[in-house]
Amino acid sequence: MKTDDAPAIVRLAGELDVYRKDEVRTALQSALQARSVLLDLAGVTYADSTALVELLHFCTDLKDANVPVALLIAAPQFARLIQYAGLDQVFAVFDDRAAALEYLAART
Amino acid sequence: MSRPKELRVRRKAWPKSASLLRHALDAFLASNKIDADTRIDIITAVGEALANSIEHAYSPNRVGDVELRARISDVEPRIAVDNIDGGRFITRARRPLRGFGFRIIKMAARTMHIDTSGGTAIRLEFDSAQA
Repeated sequence: MKTDDAPAIVRLAGELDVYRKDEVRTALQSALQARSVLLDLAGVTYADSTALVELLHFCTDLKDANVPVALLIAAPQFARLIQYAGLDQVFAVFDDRAAALEYLAART
Repeated sequence: MSRPKELRVRRKAWPKSASLLRHALDAFLASNKIDADTRIDIITAVGEALANSIEHAYSPNRVGDVELRARISDVEPRIAVDNIDGGRFITRARRPLRGFGFRIIKMAARTMHIDTSGGTAIRLEFDSAQA
């Protein structure tokens, strides 16, 4: 993969809740100009809807710009939150990093 | 029938309190052998209620408390958690449990009741097998 085709990687870890809403927003904004984005959230142990809203805004903005985004998620709570919010068909969610990168490479 | 186990924990409704309250609840559930799958649903639903209290119960210059009261008994629904704040439920338009938070709670909890007679109390109930 050429360097300029490599996805931007945004890595967040720990608990993404109401306390970290602004931090999540700022981290996501750093990748708004990318050609493709891997949101590496494998280290996230808990998330709530305040983080989910930030992720949804980010993914919607990039989708409108035809920029592919993949979410790498490991915690069962986070995966269930996305499912309960009805967003499992909106986000491209992966629990395997190679599969997420393959998804992005096929769309870049 | 054994005596119900209870937890009460109260903190200022600041954003940083959410994690502390969730961890206190999860430790209580784990110490009473509530299975991991049910704990995920409880922490997810209660986390939404807490976030709602922290974001909407008080004006920024007059922040009050938010309290969790959890009770585990022998009969279903075995687990009840009250999320209580002193916020005034002025109108549903201004103080809703709407959108994703509302949807997530309805998916994760067996029942939800909102009492606005004094502050706002959200009671969530869950079934559980013991681990």
